[in-house]
Amino acid sequence: MTAGRAIFDLAAAVAIVFSGLMVVGRNPVRSVLSLVVAFFGLATCFVLLLAPFIAALQVIVYAGAILVLFLFVLMLLNVGQEQPDRTGRPIQTVLGSAAVLVFAGLLLGMFRGSGAHVPTPADPISPSALGDPAALARLLYSDYLLHFEAVSVLLLAALVGAFVLARPEKVS
Amino acid sequence: MIGSIPLSDALLVSGALFSIGIAGALLRRNAIQIFLSIELMMNAANLALIGYGAALGTREGQIIVFFVIAIAAAEAAVGLAIFVALFRHSETIDVNKINLLKW
Repeated sequence: MTAGRAIFDLAAAVAIVFSGLMVVGRNPVRSVLSLVVAFFGLATCFVLLLAPFIAALQVIVYAGAILVLFLFVLMLLNVGQEQPDRTGRPIQTVLGSAAVLVFAGLLLGMFRGSGAHVPTPADPISPSALGDPAALARLLYSDYLLHFEAVSVLLLAALVGAFVLARPEKVS
Repeated sequence: MIGSIPLSDALLVSGALFSIGIAGALLRRNAIQIFLSIELMMNAANLALIGYGAALGTREGQIIVFFVIAIAAAEAAVGLAIFVALFRHSETIDVNKINLLKW
C-alpha cells in the first residue's frame, strides 16, 4: 500500500465519519462544524485524485464561505436543538429508513461494478498536468465561456432573490 | 504517490457519502440540517466527477465541479434567505410544523 493510498483511505474515513455525525447530531451548530471537517477530508481526497485547484476551491468556497453563511443564519435564528419526535408517527421514520437502505444498497452495488469498466481514453492528459490551474482557466474561458457567463447571471439573480426574500415585509 | 487511487475506491466513498446525505435529507426535521445534507450529496457527486476525470485523463470533470460549486453558493444564499423569511413568519424551521401548503 502506497502512502497516497493510505492518506486517501484516512481522508475518506474522516469524511464519512464526520458526515455521519452531521446527520445524527441534534445540535445544528455541531452539525455544521462536523460538515466543515468532512469537507476538509473531501478536499484531501480531491488532491489525491489530481485536482488540487478544486481542493483549494472546496476549502475556500465551501468550508470557508458557504458553511460560515450557514453558521451565521443558525446563530441569527437561534433555533436550538431539535426536539425528539412526539407526534406519534413512526411510520415516516420506518419508511424513510427503509428507503435509505434500499437506495444505499442499489447505489453501492451499481458503483462496485462500474469502476472496472472505464474505457481507455484516446488522448489522456498526463497526470501531473491534469490539475494545472492555467490549463483549467484556458478551458473555462474558451470552450465553457457561455456556461461561465450563464453562471454569473445566475449568481446575480440569486443575489437579488436573496435580498428580496430576506427583506422585512414592511419597509417604512 | 499522488494519482494511484483506483476509480472504484473514489466511487465507493462517493456512494457512501451520498447515502448518508439522503438519510439526513429524509429523516431529519430541522430545515437547516436537511439543507446541509443536500450540500453533502452535491459533494459526493463532485467526488464521483473528479474520480472519473482522473481515471479518464480529462479536465472536463473538474470544470463541471467548478460550476457545481458556483451553483451551490447561489442555492445556499437563496435557501437561507427563504429560511430567514420562514422563521420570521412562523417562528420555526421544523419541517413537520410548516404545513401552509398542505390541505
